[in-house]
Amino acid sequence: MTGNSGNIDGKQAGPKVFEPVWAIALNTFRETVRDRILYALILFAAIVTVLGIVLGSLSVGQDIRILKDIGLAAISFIGGIIAVFAGTNLVYKEVERRTIYLIFTKPVSGWQFVLGKYIGLCLCVAVMVAAMGAFLIFVITAASGSAGFAEQLRQMGQELALIYLELLFVTALATFFSTFSTPVMSVLFTLAIWLAGHLGDSLFELGKLTQNPVISQFLSVIFYCLPDFAGLTRIRGHLLYGTVPGIEVLTYLVTYVFAYVLMLLVLAAIVTERKEYT
Amino acid sequence: MADVVIQATNLSKELTSSLLRRKVRILSGLNLQVARGETFGLIGPNGAGKTTSIKLMLGLMRPTEGAAEILGMPAGDKKALAQLGYLPENPYFYSHLTGREFLDFAGQLFGIEKKERSERAQELTKLVGLTEAADTQMRKYSKGMLQRLGIAQSLINRPQLIFWDEPMSGLDPIGRKDVRQILFHLKEKGTTIFFNSHLLPDVNEVCDRVGVMNRGQLIVQEDVKNISQGGSYKDLEDFFLEVIAKAEAGGQARS
Repeated sequence: MTGNSGNIDGKQAGPKVFEPVWAIALNTFRETVRDRILYALILFAAIVTVLGIVLGSLSVGQDIRILKDIGLAAISFIGGIIAVFAGTNLVYKEVERRTIYLIFTKPVSGWQFVLGKYIGLCLCVAVMVAAMGAFLIFVITAASGSAGFAEQLRQMGQELALIYLELLFVTALATFFSTFSTPVMSVLFTLAIWLAGHLGDSLFELGKLTQNPVISQFLSVIFYCLPDFAGLTRIRGHLLYGTVPGIEVLTYLVTYVFAYVLMLLVLAAIVTERKEYT
Repeated sequence: MADVVIQATNLSKELTSSLLRRKVRILSGLNLQVARGETFGLIGPNGAGKTTSIKLMLGLMRPTEGAAEILGMPAGDKKALAQLGYLPENPYFYSHLTGREFLDFAGQLFGIEKKERSERAQELTKLVGLTEAADTQMRKYSKGMLQRLGIAQSLINRPQLIFWDEPMSGLDPIGRKDVRQILFHLKEKGTTIFFNSHLLPDVNEVCDRVGVMNRGQLIVQEDVKNISQGGSYKDLEDFFLEVIAKAEAGGQARS
């Protein structure tokens, strides 16, 4: 510490708008990867391998299909767990550990912080989904042989993309709640909306069935406000039976997800910007 | 006062207790000016309002009344923040990062170029005596090492103005001496320094001027030279104790 005192005077560097976003994203990615993600990967690898061995030994003709369904469900579930639990801690932990003082005493805006945290976690989830997907393809190929490998890869790629799209949505929900709520409450809120989003169609149908116009109106408002996870599941269902949805459906879906995510992140940024850090 | 870089005008803060919704005034009518190149020490007992004052000046908290200007800009203005450095009290960092990675992260938040960040990290780890530990994860750092890293990150952007909250906390006597040397070096270069400390000998040695806070009020400001050379007080500690005793005797109401 003594001796050369370094150059600690002088000129000022001008901040660039996306540099802090990227820095926060990379930091979040590193933190999530170094903290907990490997355990989830190991768990997934263990489940799929055991299933692969068990189903392979049964050889009833449907083993590959079952393995694929269970594998994709596991990817969705484990990715969801990471998105919900890491997402709901995303902003809250920075406030609790007071690392947020170091961020907001530098030229960083609320939106840069929220966007950086979100992108970092989404990168992490992307790596997870890709790694688990690659492992699943490997196990399926090992079980079924190389016949139809390209087709398997194409189908799995589409399904994984849809799973990831849903996880982007869940991560945004968790990020939003983490800006003003404790992790436990945020987990409950996120899971409740995730589940309700999957039941959106049923709510809409229920609204049509009821005789009471107030209840019908109320249910349809809820239907339109809730994220349409049921829509994503419908398309995954089509993919399972080899039907690829049209480009207009996919465009609508991607636009819908990104618009919803954007709205949640804007709200999260407003909350973060208005908050006091005592 | 020529070229004021810190200006607090009637800066006050009330917090509302979450359970009973009772309002508690934690800072009352702080009026303060710090000139460019000055080293100002804010001293006071625990809970006097020192950290709150810094947080209001940095924009981490919003005042209930009054205002603060930093480098001629409102508290929390991003252009002002780009030109200052801050060390929080008992800093906690990202334990998964190494010291070097953390300095690089801090540099990125200022938009500093990669090459310069790398050079600055090298210089600053040397400056604070962490060269050997620069590539060790912070979860393995001692409290003193974290404090040194906190000081390093507060200098990454070559600030014109620094706010250090208890910079000597957690440091052994050698560490404290090193921090004093850094402060002297910064003073020589014309950096404006505002810091809180309980360690009065360090404040006495480094500061041009001190302010004494008690129960959320700045009760006196004085040049350190006047205290030591005026003959009325043995040293800064003597001055501090008497000022606090007088304030208490004068019935400064407990909030």
